[in-house]
Amino acid sequence: MLLPNFEYIEPTTLEEALRLLSDMGGNARVIAGGTDLLVRMKLKIEKPSQLISLRKVPGLNQVIKRETHGVSIGPAVTAADLARNEFIRDKFAPLATAAGKLGAPVIRNRATIGGNLVNGRPAADFPPACMVFDAILKLKSATNEREILVGEFFRGPGETIIEPNELLVGIFMETPAPWTGGSYIKLGARKALEISMVNVAVMLTLQEPLGPIVDVKIALGAVAPTPVRAFAAEQYLMGRHPSEKVFSEAGAIGVGMCHPITDHRGTMEYRCLMIETLTSRALNLAYQNALAWKP
Amino acid sequence: MKKIIRLTVNGEPVEAAVAQNQTLVQFLREDLGLTGTKHGCGLGDCGACTVILDGKAVNSCLVLAIQANGSEVLTIEGLAENGKLHPLQQAFVDKGAIQCGFCTPGMILSAKALLEEKPNPTELEIRTALSGNLCRCTGYQKIVEAIDDAAKVMSGREES
Repeated sequence: MLLPNFEYIEPTTLEEALRLLSDMGGNARVIAGGTDLLVRMKLKIEKPSQLISLRKVPGLNQVIKRETHGVSIGPAVTAADLARNEFIRDKFAPLATAAGKLGAPVIRNRATIGGNLVNGRPAADFPPACMVFDAILKLKSATNEREILVGEFFRGPGETIIEPNELLVGIFMETPAPWTGGSYIKLGARKALEISMVNVAVMLTLQEPLGPIVDVKIALGAVAPTPVRAFAAEQYLMGRHPSEKVFSEAGAIGVGMCHPITDHRGTMEYRCLMIETLTSRALNLAYQNALAWKP
Repeated sequence: MKKIIRLTVNGEPVEAAVAQNQTLVQFLREDLGLTGTKHGCGLGDCGACTVILDGKAVNSCLVLAIQANGSEVLTIEGLAENGKLHPLQQAFVDKGAIQCGFCTPGMILSAKALLEEKPNPTELEIRTALSGNLCRCTGYQKIVEAIDDAAKVMSGREES
């Protein structure tokens, strides 16, 4: 399959990349891993006249443990690098798990977290995992800079609030409190190269090892036009002691937050059943991980 | 407008003018004549075009030739040394892991990238490493066995 014509530009500084983005207007697209964009261009869904590559822009492909409390992830960090990063695996397990489930190794070696977020696909792997950590996305243009909570970033299938002249330059997350555990479950018809039928990420914090739940976040993908938080299920869980019963009740409440569609990957009815089951399963798994928490 | 790229392909320095919309697989096959790398789906689904780019297995249909500027590329043609097959190639032959052969170069390069990172992989690790490479003939079992055999030969050789 052939690519349409375009001009490929490789800026070497962030300033140059931002200036190019604002000069080119809506005709340019940013290319990082290219595993999604080049496919869309081959299928003639997108026809940018310029591709602005992030390949030579320094500092965008690093995971940096911040001196204060948290981590800063560059948008051009690949899924493969996130999946094997020890710090991410330890403190941000749902993110590492989601990274390891995206596509297949040949895709993960190129696909980036920034691309996965900016594409805004409802079934994408990274959005739910970022949402349970209330990640902050830093968007920059040649003249402006703003920080957006990831939960407010997605607008609809393939739509986010990012402007054509803006670049996602960083993803920031606070390290979760002690006795926190996380999980990520992706359901598809097969285990690799799959687009989720339902995906769910959970982060759950206990007051103490056998104490009640003091913080919990549940995010679901492929169940609505954008990834969603199951706020009502989270509220129900707050202050309760973990048990199979409260987790399955939370799953039932979670279904109410979703508006899945019927498509070739699964029916609306099946998705609803799976939202309930997988939410409760992900909560259980996060709870087990919270019990195993280590400083 | 074409642009000049310089890269290393199978250990040899290459300098060439490429079209900006040319993919790496097109460049390897059409410009360099390295037709061992197969052009399958062109969409990153089948893995037939897998090459090793700077140490990592990638779909060369989803990399622009221009993005490989300054990089090191290893294709199936770069594996044999002095006319002797690489242990992975030999194991594929010995085990009958090849039928039509279209997926084989990609399979072997994904396997090579795996063995560089994990010289003694489990069966699950082998299957995961191959999960982006489709084979429509073998049912995968013989491919997995061949890689397991090659891993043993290669790690044994390293010890001696």
